[in-house]
Amino acid sequence: MRRIALVIPVLIASYGLRAQDRTLQSDTTTVLQEVKVKAKAKKKIKTDLKLAVSVDEFLASSQSISFIKRGAYAWEPMLNNMSSERSAVTIDGMHIFGACTDKMDPVTSYVETNNLSTVDIKSGQEGSLHGSTIAGSIDLQRENTAFGLDKKVGGNYQTGFEFNNKQFFNLAALSYSGQKFAADGSISFRQAENYYDGNNKEVKHSQFNKFNSSVGLSFKTGERSALRVDAIYDKAKDVGFPALPMDLWLSRALITSASYKQLFEDGIIQLWDTKIYYNAIEHYMDDTTRPENLVHMDMPGWSTTYGLLSKIALQRDSYRSEIQLNAYDNLSIAEMRMYPQDRSNRTMFAYSWPWVTTRFASLSNTNSWDLSDRSHVVLGGSLGVNYNYSKYAEFNWIFHPGAPQEKTRILPGLHASYHIDIAPFTLSAGAGYGHRAPSISEAYGYYIYNSFDRYDYIGNPNLGNEVSYETNASVGYQTGRMGIQAKVNYFYIQDYIVGKILNMGSPMNYQSVGVKGYTALDHANIFNLALSAHYDILTHLHWKGSLTYARATDGSGGNLPFIRPISYQTGLQYMYKRLGIQTSLQGDAAQRDYSPEYGEDKTAAYQIWNASADYTLPARKVNMTLQVGAENILNAYYSTYADWGNIPRMGRNIFTSLKINF
Amino acid sequence: MEKIILFLTVLCCALTSCTKEKTDYEAEIDTIVPERSGFKEVTQFQSGAYTIRIDALGGNLYKGYNKVHVKISGQGQAPVSAATLLPIRNGGTAQAHSCPHSYQLTYNAGQGYFEGYMVFTEASDPLSQWDLHIGYTADQPYRVVQQVPVQEQDNKNLGMTSFTDRDGAQYILALIAPQKPKVAENELVAGLYRFDTPTAGATAPFPDPAQFSYSEVQGYTILLDPRMPEPSMGNHSSPNNKDLLHGADNLYHGVVNYTMTGNWTLNLILHNQQGDLVRGTVVPDDFTPGVVGVKSELHIDILF
Repeated sequence: MRRIALVIPVLIASYGLRAQDRTLQSDTTTVLQEVKVKAKAKKKIKTDLKLAVSVDEFLASSQSISFIKRGAYAWEPMLNNMSSERSAVTIDGMHIFGACTDKMDPVTSYVETNNLSTVDIKSGQEGSLHGSTIAGSIDLQRENTAFGLDKKVGGNYQTGFEFNNKQFFNLAALSYSGQKFAADGSISFRQAENYYDGNNKEVKHSQFNKFNSSVGLSFKTGERSALRVDAIYDKAKDVGFPALPMDLWLSRALITSASYKQLFEDGIIQLWDTKIYYNAIEHYMDDTTRPENLVHMDMPGWSTTYGLLSKIALQRDSYRSEIQLNAYDNLSIAEMRMYPQDRSNRTMFAYSWPWVTTRFASLSNTNSWDLSDRSHVVLGGSLGVNYNYSKYAEFNWIFHPGAPQEKTRILPGLHASYHIDIAPFTLSAGAGYGHRAPSISEAYGYYIYNSFDRYDYIGNPNLGNEVSYETNASVGYQTGRMGIQAKVNYFYIQDYIVGKILNMGSPMNYQSVGVKGYTALDHANIFNLALSAHYDILTHLHWKGSLTYARATDGSGGNLPFIRPISYQTGLQYMYKRLGIQTSLQGDAAQRDYSPEYGEDKTAAYQIWNASADYTLPARKVNMTLQVGAENILNAYYSTYADWGNIPRMGRNIFTSLKINF
Repeated sequence: MEKIILFLTVLCCALTSCTKEKTDYEAEIDTIVPERSGFKEVTQFQSGAYTIRIDALGGNLYKGYNKVHVKISGQGQAPVSAATLLPIRNGGTAQAHSCPHSYQLTYNAGQGYFEGYMVFTEASDPLSQWDLHIGYTADQPYRVVQQVPVQEQDNKNLGMTSFTDRDGAQYILALIAPQKPKVAENELVAGLYRFDTPTAGATAPFPDPAQFSYSEVQGYTILLDPRMPEPSMGNHSSPNNKDLLHGADNLYHGVVNYTMTGNWTLNLILHNQQGDLVRGTVVPDDFTPGVVGVKSELHIDILF
């Protein structure tokens, strides 16, 4: 953590240096605003139902993302029904690795909605631009105010209260846009107590406290160049995880970066953006609030990452290309110390991540050619090198004698797709091939207790790469009043990594029933289907609906765990002048294809009904919106297929929020 | 902008405060396991014209296995061609007795000293002491007796145990390595000795070596089942352990895996050359959180 302390003064110093030569250049402010590598529909950070949401709630509104939930906080995002080690989750392209062996701190838990502008989700190998992946990529993109906007100072403030868990939140963001200098800053607090389930029973240990702040400063260094420094500081304290035998005492993240962007006027090169970054995460679990635990344990974890990202965007006529270099160095450390019942006895210590270094470098490239006005082809690929080193490899040798202490892998990836637009239809088809290296837990983890199937997991340094072959297709139909879209993808994954019962060793954690070792299945199949439709019933009355289906099996026909059963959502939205009313119905069908082998039991179907109303106050300059709503109005008692340990979800929750934009 | 700087400064201060330090793993085991590196002098004394110096690891003798170097030198004296070592415990209520030892010392010509070992079964106390009876041959045979202090074993990884088989034969089992175990695969080395019950009365003046003889037991097998006896560990064990087999050096070699630091018990079962049980019981292998682990009747405790 001393390193964290070093970085901040450097950031301050660099700020001071840059601030001095602000008067040098004349205004060419418009140039930087026009940077568009490829037009992306930016989705505002809100859901249909709620204006003020958490990052998790926002991601949940995407059809391709589902969540493993261990409580009310820090949900683990699953992309295409694959767990988080199969996707590349980044913040502005920066790689960050959680410091908790139990995945209590996914990357998404270290940001807040008011410092994000959008979340870019890419499915499958299309997401390989930021690094090797199987499931795809989730890039959380930060707020980044352009130079020289008409509106010099802008900002927003959100506050709200949710009655079920007495969640009170205050989020504020401020931006400044000058000719030579632009800045973004945000600060947020969230505090929640235990929530109550549909039987009005308190779900103990489900409280959370989160503080997040961020600052980003941009300095114009030339007519077409700019320097930007960014920092996010996030702190979560006293967070309960009802589904786990322990809670979080404290987790902190410092995420910093400095980037230099150069634009080019003529020629094929449009932009060159280079960023160096550093992030440090510390995560301390706490079981002192669980007197029922037989054994007191300390489980601190640390993750430190240094990285470099350099991107060049090219464009000539109908050809566009992006070339990106990614490199990072991560050190992950997790300790466990068990205390004997007689505290005067010797404590018992081991590393659950024995100081594992990961170094990764990749060069990726995506090209797009417009074949005609209506069709284009995308071709891309990446080649990565992944190096792992386990400092205390003797821990790994206990289960895998003679395993190599270091390992280098080559991770190739390729993808191609064809898109055509024949009004009113849009069609696309694509294919991909890619590798990923096993995660730190999968390769080097040591007695990591999984409270879902109640096994201790042991990593295997000898694991090979997981290799994915995928195909995907989509078809859309769009007329003035209605639209319908279907997306399918299919992954055939060779050497799919899962935990299998080991017939050696014995559990270390007292709740555990046995030891599982990570091993590779011959192959697995994952199929995802998502349907969505919308229809404008009246000018001010809109209907939206969606349906997802997924099926995943291992090589021998058994079911894979955490695969979402049929899920649906249907919602109506009515807008009249300053008033908006929304209602939605969502649910999952019964989980038919569950996997007892991986600790799953059959989860029953559920359905919840939500509604909200918002009103925008008539005020000049300031845009003020009030919202009142309720989730799970009928107070259904339910838990989903991905609720760890079948913890019940929140019952009826009345929420209120006020949002002010200026 | 001043506010931003102020904010960053505050942030900077917030970040430097209150965080847990990482465990210094290398130092973790040092806190509980004494390091004994290098042979150092235990005692030095005169025997006529000769000076006898006894060295042991760390300069002390401990209950348990001790390897010793015996250097016998005399200025202008005839070179020493052979040496013997016999530890005898005197005093107290018990009869004079010995412990496993190498009676005939081997000469290490390169280093110029004799090598041997003693497995002390008790530490010295005010009432009873250990005497080393050293014999050596130069121009003529010499004999000398020297009392040495033997300390309690402070390294909980070099334990020993003594037991008798069904026929009443006395055995001593002592751990020799690892001196400093790690959370890893550890080469486990132990010495197994049996008291040679004298068949006749003493024929030589005290001490008659035939009355105090121990032999290194050969060709036995020591089955190994390491477990953590701490109730919170629920009888936890480790994989990939190897039973101890008799090696060319007349010691027993095996592999023990310790999955974490703390208290361990090496549960052992001793079989003779014919595979018959000599001593030891099978311990339960089920996971029993909250219950103190059951130990084999033949076991040695470990702590690191």
